[in-house]
Amino acid sequence: MNSSAHNSISGAGREIAKGSAEATLRLIAGLPVPDGIEDRVMAGLKSAPRAGRILHWPSRMQPTGSWIRSAAAAAIVFVVAGGGWGIYTRVQPSQATKVIVMPRAGAGGGFSSAGAMRTPQTVIGPVVAQPVAAQPGDAQAATTQRVQVKPLKKVPAKIVPLTRADAGNKASVHPAVQAAR
Amino acid sequence: MEIPKSAVDDLARTQAEEATLAALVSQYAGALYRVAYSVLRNPADAEDAVQETFLRVLRHRETLGEVRDQRVWLIRIVWNIVLDRKRRAKTRPETDDVAELARVLPCAGLSAEQIAAGAQHHAHVLACVEKLPAKERQVLMLSAFEELTGVEIAEVLGITESSVRSRLFRARNLMADLLNHSRSLR
Repeated sequence: MNSSAHNSISGAGREIAKGSAEATLRLIAGLPVPDGIEDRVMAGLKSAPRAGRILHWPSRMQPTGSWIRSAAAAAIVFVVAGGGWGIYTRVQPSQATKVIVMPRAGAGGGFSSAGAMRTPQTVIGPVVAQPVAAQPGDAQAATTQRVQVKPLKKVPAKIVPLTRADAGNKASVHPAVQAAR
Repeated sequence: MEIPKSAVDDLARTQAEEATLAALVSQYAGALYRVAYSVLRNPADAEDAVQETFLRVLRHRETLGEVRDQRVWLIRIVWNIVLDRKRRAKTRPETDDVAELARVLPCAGLSAEQIAAGAQHHAHVLACVEKLPAKERQVLMLSAFEELTGVEIAEVLGITESSVRSRLFRARNLMADLLNHSRSLR
C-alpha cells in the first residue's frame, strides 16, 4: 500500500518534472525574434561577395568550328612548353654539396670506439715480372742486360763415416769432410 | 547596340534568385533565429548563424529548385552551423550562458521573489539539459519547437522517426530523474 502510494507520488513528480523541463524549453523556443533581423540578413547578403560568373563570348566571336578550339589548345600547349624549355635552358640546377654528418660518439652516454682506429691491411701480394719481349733492334742491349744470378742453395754438409775400404782412397773424400777433420 | 540574349537570361535568372532568397529570409529568418538561439544562447551569435545559413543558400542557389521542403532544409543547415560553432567555442563556461538565459526567460510571477525563483528554476532545468547525452539533448531541444513534427526532426538530424521517438522518451525520463534527484538533495 505504502509502496504503491510512494510510486504514484514519484510518478506524479516525474510527470511534473518532465512538464516543467519542457515548459522551459518551449519558453526558449518561443522567445521573441529581434526586430529587423530580416533587413540585416538581406543587407549582409547584398554585401557578400558574389561567386564568379562565366563570361560569354560575343555572338560575332562565337567559335563555330572545332578548329578554333584546337588552335587555341595548341597555342596554350606551345606557350607552356616553350616557357618550360626556356627556363630549363637558362637555369642550371645547383648541385647540392654532399655533407656526411658523423654521429657524435660518446656524447649521449652510448658505446664509443675508445679511440681505436681502423688500420687497413697493407699486405702486398707477389708481383709477377712480365717477360720482356726481345726486339730485333735491341739484340745488343739484350746481351748487356744484367743477368740475375740466383744464389746457390745452401745444403747442410753430410758427414759420411769413413770405412777401411775408403781409407786408402783419401782422394775420394770430399774436401769438406777433410776440413771437418 | 544589340544586347545578347544570354545576358538577358542571366539578368532575369539573377533577379528571380534574389526574389526567392528574399522570400526565404522574410519567411524563415525568425524560426532559424530561435533554433540558433536555443543552442547558442547568445543573440549576436544566433544572428550570425542565421546570416551564415543564408550565405550558404546564396552560394548553392542553383540547387534551390531541387529542395523538397525548404523549411526543414534551412533548419538543418542552421542546426549544423550552430552545433559546429558550439563545438568550437568551448572557452566560454556553460554556467554563464545558463544564468544569462534564465534572466531573459519570462516568469509567471509578478513579485521580485517569484521572478527570482522562476529564473532559478529555469537555470536549474537548463543545467540538467546540459547534463543529458548529446543525442537525447538534441532531440529534446528540437521537440520544443512546435513547428517541427517528429518526421521533420528526423530529417533535420538525419535519423529515422522511430529513433527520434525512442531518444525523446529516454531524454524525458533522464530529465525527470535529474530534476527529482536534485530536488531530493535539497
